[in-house]
Amino acid sequence: MNNLFDKRPRLARSNKVVSLSEAIDEIRNGDVLMMGSFVDTRRPMAAAYEIVRQQKHNLILLAQCSLAEDIMVGAGCAIAWRGCYTGIATFGLSPATLRKTEAGKFFPDEIGHLDIIYGALAAMVGSPFVATRATLGSDVLNDQLDRNRILIDKAGNKAMIPKKKFELIEDPFYNQGLVKLLPAMPADAAIIHTQMAGEKGTARISGSLAFDHYFVHAARTVIVTTEQIVPEEYLRRDPNRNQIPCTAVDMVVEIPWGGHPSQVMGYYDTDIPFIRDYVLSARTDEGFERWVGEWILDVKSRDQYLDKLGASRLEGLRAADPQGYRSRS
Amino acid sequence: MKTSKVVSLKEAIQEVRDGDVILTGGIVENRRPVAASMEMVRQKKKNLVLIGTCSLSDDILVGGGCVEAYRGCYTSNGAFGISPNMKRRTEEGTIITDEIGHIDYCLGLMAGQAGLPFVASKTDIGTDVLNPAYDNLSKTAEVARDKTMLPNKKYVLMEDPFFGMGTIQLLPAIKLDVCICHVQMAGEEGTVRIDGSLTFDHLGALCAKKVIITAEQIVPESYIRQDPNRNCIPCTSVDMVVEVPWGAHPGQVYNCYDMDIPFLQEYAKMCATQEGFDKWAAQWIFNQNGHWDYLDKLGVSRLEKLRALPPYGYVPRNKGGVK
Amino acid sequence: MTKEYAKIGEYSAVEAMVCHSARFLANFDGKKGLIGTGLPLVASQLAKKLYSPNMIIFIETGQADANPQELAISIMDSRLTYGSSWQMGDPEGLYPLSRNEIDFGFIGGAQIDKYGNVNSTFIGGDYNKPAKRLAGTAGAVDIGVFAKTTVILMAHQKRRVCEFVDYLTTPGWMVKKWPEGTLVRREELGLQGGPSCFISSMGICKFNDDDKVMYLDKYFPGITLEQIKENTGFDIDVSRADEADHILVDEIRLLREEIDPLNIYKMR
Repeated sequence: MNNLFDKRPRLARSNKVVSLSEAIDEIRNGDVLMMGSFVDTRRPMAAAYEIVRQQKHNLILLAQCSLAEDIMVGAGCAIAWRGCYTGIATFGLSPATLRKTEAGKFFPDEIGHLDIIYGALAAMVGSPFVATRATLGSDVLNDQLDRNRILIDKAGNKAMIPKKKFELIEDPFYNQGLVKLLPAMPADAAIIHTQMAGEKGTARISGSLAFDHYFVHAARTVIVTTEQIVPEEYLRRDPNRNQIPCTAVDMVVEIPWGGHPSQVMGYYDTDIPFIRDYVLSARTDEGFERWVGEWILDVKSRDQYLDKLGASRLEGLRAADPQGYRSRS
Repeated sequence: MKTSKVVSLKEAIQEVRDGDVILTGGIVENRRPVAASMEMVRQKKKNLVLIGTCSLSDDILVGGGCVEAYRGCYTSNGAFGISPNMKRRTEEGTIITDEIGHIDYCLGLMAGQAGLPFVASKTDIGTDVLNPAYDNLSKTAEVARDKTMLPNKKYVLMEDPFFGMGTIQLLPAIKLDVCICHVQMAGEEGTVRIDGSLTFDHLGALCAKKVIITAEQIVPESYIRQDPNRNCIPCTSVDMVVEVPWGAHPGQVYNCYDMDIPFLQEYAKMCATQEGFDKWAAQWIFNQNGHWDYLDKLGVSRLEKLRALPPYGYVPRNKGGVK
Repeated sequence: MTKEYAKIGEYSAVEAMVCHSARFLANFDGKKGLIGTGLPLVASQLAKKLYSPNMIIFIETGQADANPQELAISIMDSRLTYGSSWQMGDPEGLYPLSRNEIDFGFIGGAQIDKYGNVNSTFIGGDYNKPAKRLAGTAGAVDIGVFAKTTVILMAHQKRRVCEFVDYLTTPGWMVKKWPEGTLVRREELGLQGGPSCFISSMGICKFNDDDKVMYLDKYFPGITLEQIKENTGFDIDVSRADEADHILVDEIRLLREEIDPLNIYKMR
C-alpha cells in the first residue's frame, strides 16, 4: 500500500494546545499547503502573517490565491499554486498574485472548483482518483498550460503531486462516454481557522464549511487556529454539531480575532477598509513591502496587532445575534 | 410562499413503484423507517431492489414479499441474530443477493451524491467480493424496473496512473429510485435534522430520485433554519415529509427512544418461518388504521418505558443516570 | 489492581477470550482502532479500563474517539454517540480506514482459516443457495484490506477454524487474486498489514513468518493441547505453545459488574 495519505509522525506532545509560532514551525519549506475556508470568510489570517514572519519559502498552495494566500505570495513564501480562484471578491483580483504571475515569478496551475472538491474528497477517502466530467471541453485540460511537471519539481515532498494532471477514459459503467480521471489532492499541511475548538482538537464551525471538513482529512499535518478554546467536554455534549474530529487535528492555537480582516460568523464581520487598504497597497512591490512592514514585520506580538487596530474599530465589527454578522443597515 | 411537503404515510408510500431500487435509512436497529416498511408491506409492493443493508426495516420488506434482489454488505439484526427473513429466503435460493463491501456502499453513494460515475479504491482487493462466480449484478438488473439504475459491471481493475498505488478497483456510483429515512425532526418544507449517527442518510437522500422523510416530529421550517449547520439533509432534496411518532419502533432513535428488546427478540423468533412472519404481520402490520393501531396495541406504558433520558439520548440501564 | 487470579471454572470460555483480547489491546495504547460489532466492543471497553486507556476508538457508524458510558449492543447503538468527538455517518466512520489512519482493526467472524482469512458471509452450499447465510461483509472486508493490522476473535470450534474459508470476506495472509482467484500473498496485491493474531476461546494463534500458516502461540489455563488439536479443522502446529497467564479476579469483576452487568452479551 502506498502510504501517501499517512499522517506525519505524531508530534511528541502530550498537549495539542501550542503557540502560533510553535505551530507554524511545523510548516516546512516546499510543503503543499491548504489554507482553510474561502475568499474573505473564516480565513486563517494570523497564521498567514506568522508564515510571512517566519519567512517560509517554496510553498505550493492549493485551492485559491485569495486574501490569506495573496499575502504569502507577495512576501515570497509561495512559489506555485493549484486551484481555481485568484480574487478577493468585490475587492478585486488578488494583487500580489497578479503581479508575481505576470512577472513570471509565480506558477499557477488551473483546475476547476469541483476538481478541488473531488480531489480533496478522493484524498479524504484514500482513493487515488475519481472520475468526473468536470472541466471537459475547457482549457483546464490544455496540455500547453499544464504545470504538473513544475509542481513536482518545486514540491519538497514529490509524493504529494500526481504523476500527471488527469487522464481521459470511456466510462465502463453508465455509458457516460469520455470521463476524466482526476487524481486525489493530498496536502502536507492544512491550516484551518474555526469559531471553537476543544483542547483535544475537536472543532466546531458555524456557517460554510468550505473545504475544511475534507482537507483536515486530506492533509498530513493539521493546525486549527480558533477564536476560543473551550473545554473539550463541552463540545462532546453535541457531537452532531462538530465538523472536525479531534483525531484529525495535530495542533490547536487560540487566537481571538485570528481571522481579521476576514469575517468569522457569530464573532465578527469583514473589516472592509482594512482589506481595501491592502488591495491598494499590494499593487506595487513598494506598497506591499510597506504594508507588510506596518502590519506584520514591525508588529511584535498578536496583542500589539489588536491594540494597533484598537478597541473601537474591532467593536464596530462585532457580530450580532441571531444573524451572526454586523448588519449594514 | 413555499408549499408544504407534508403528506400521509399512505400517500407517501403510494409513490414507491414496483421494481424500484430502494434504500431505507439508518442501520441495524437504529433510526430505521419501520412504519414506512410496514406500509409498503400493507400496500403489497413487489420486485424492489434493496440497496445497502438488510436489517430490521429491510427484513420486514423481505418477509412481506416486497423484495426480489439485494445489493449490500450486511444482513443481520445485530445482537438479535441474522435477519431472519433474509436468511430464510437466501438459504432457499429464492432471493438474489449481490455482495458488496461497507466502504463500497459508502463510496458508491458518495459518487452518486457527488455526480461522479465511478471512483477508485482498493476496498475489496483479495476478497470474494470480486469473485466473478458470485457476481449477481446482471440478475439484479433484471429485477429493476429501470435497468439503467444499475451499472454495466460490478467493477473494473486497472493500474493507478497517478500515485503508483498498483492495481485498484473502479467502483461505480450507486443510483437510487427511492430513499426513505426516518429522522428526529423535519421542517414542513423538508429540511432534516438528525441526532446521532447519520449512517448513509446524508448521502442516500442526495442520490435518490425520490426522497421520503418520516419524522418523529414536524417542526416549523423557520425553527429548523435557525441553525443550518445542525441540519443534515436540505429541503431541496426532499419530496415528501410524514410525521410518524415512534416510526422506528421496535428500533431506537437517539434522543427519542431506546430499542424494544423483547419485541425484537419475538420478531427474530417468529420470522424463522414464512408462516411465522405471516402471523406476526397479521398481528402487527395488517391493521385497519395502520401505524396508529400498531401504537395503540403496543400501549402507552410500554412505549413510555423506552423514552430516552437527556443528556444521554437513550435509556440508561441503571435508571436514574449513568454511573 | 490486585493480581489475584480467578479459579478455572469460575469464568466462562467466552470471558477468558474477552479478557485475553483486552490484554492484547495493550499493544495499541494511544493508537487508533476500528472496532467491530459484538465481543470486540466488549473487549475494547475492558481494555480501556485496564490496559490501554488512551486507545482511540472509531466505530463504523461514524463516531470518532468514541467514549461510551454504557456498553453498546451494536455498532449503531445510541450509546456510542454521547461523549464522542464527532458524530457523522458510516462513510466518515470508514474513511479513516481507506486513508490509512487506522492502526488496528478488531473483528469477530464465523470462520477463520489457516491463513487468517475470515468469513462472515455464508457457510456451506453455494453462494446463491447457502446452507447458512451470515451477516455479510459489513466493515469486515474493509478492515482486512486497509487496517495496518487486524486482531480476530472467535470461538474455537472445528467447523470454524478450518483449512480454507467458504467465502473470503476479510483478507488474511494468503488471498485471492482476481479475475482467476489464484491464491497469493497479500503483499502481491499491494495490501499492507495482515492479521497479527487470532484469539480464540482456547488460546492465541499467530502466523509463521515464512509460509504464513497459523500456529498455536498460547493455550489458556485449563485447556489442553489435545483439545485444541481436536477443535481445529486442520493439523495445527502446537509445538511452540506455552500457557497463557491466568485470568484475574479484577478482569472478571469489571466485566460482570461494570461492563455488562445485565449479561447482554451472554458471556456467562
